[in-house]
Amino acid sequence: MMIMRRRQGEKILIGEDIVLHISHIGRNRVKIGIEAPKEMRVLAEEVQAVHDENLAAARGCSAEAIQRILSRVQPATIA
Amino acid sequence: MPTCKTKYFGDVDYADEALIDFVRGPAGFEEETKFLILSYPHQYPLVFVQSITSPNLCFVALPVLAVNPKYRLQMEGADAAVLGVPEQPTVGTQVLCLALVTGHEQTPTANLLAPIVVNLKSRRAMQCIHADGWYSHQHPLLSAEEQAVAV
Repeated sequence: MMIMRRRQGEKILIGEDIVLHISHIGRNRVKIGIEAPKEMRVLAEEVQAVHDENLAAARGCSAEAIQRILSRVQPATIA
Repeated sequence: MPTCKTKYFGDVDYADEALIDFVRGPAGFEEETKFLILSYPHQYPLVFVQSITSPNLCFVALPVLAVNPKYRLQMEGADAAVLGVPEQPTVGTQVLCLALVTGHEQTPTANLLAPIVVNLKSRRAMQCIHADGWYSHQHPLLSAEEQAVAV
């Protein structure tokens, strides 16, 4: 992986048509502006992970799997 | 009383109060915005999140506190504003907070990173990615014995 040091307000160019703007650096987050061709998908990694996990979750559970899940949660621990 | 065809329980009569209305459908199911929350005493604390429009779409879910009693919900400001709740709403009184369960072969997992948050007053709902990202989208649900070994 390539690493670059950038300050707030600076930019990174990727290829011909992608520009990343480092628009704000906070205490533990950065705000990044992204210019990219419309057809290019730009997603936060966790959004993709959640999307894939939703598809897996929608495949459902067998009655047996549901029993297994129930055996794994202890109602007594619920506040 | 309206009836809904469900994935696991056949035709179910429901009261309008049991409906939740997603601001936008869960990721991957953006068109699905009307769901019914079903729960049965013998399956407590499991909850079934059944689409009204697609009988075959039903998520199995658990209240986040059943998965992790210390769970702290932290919403993005924009999500909280759309739902009309504070960024750290009280789970159980202000909002219902459900983790979707995936039935992986060995260990089922719960998605604590992106729970379904329901404003209990308005019944509006949204899948919210935790603002601080502390939690896993594949949190293993361990049995008591497995937990004992893990500790």
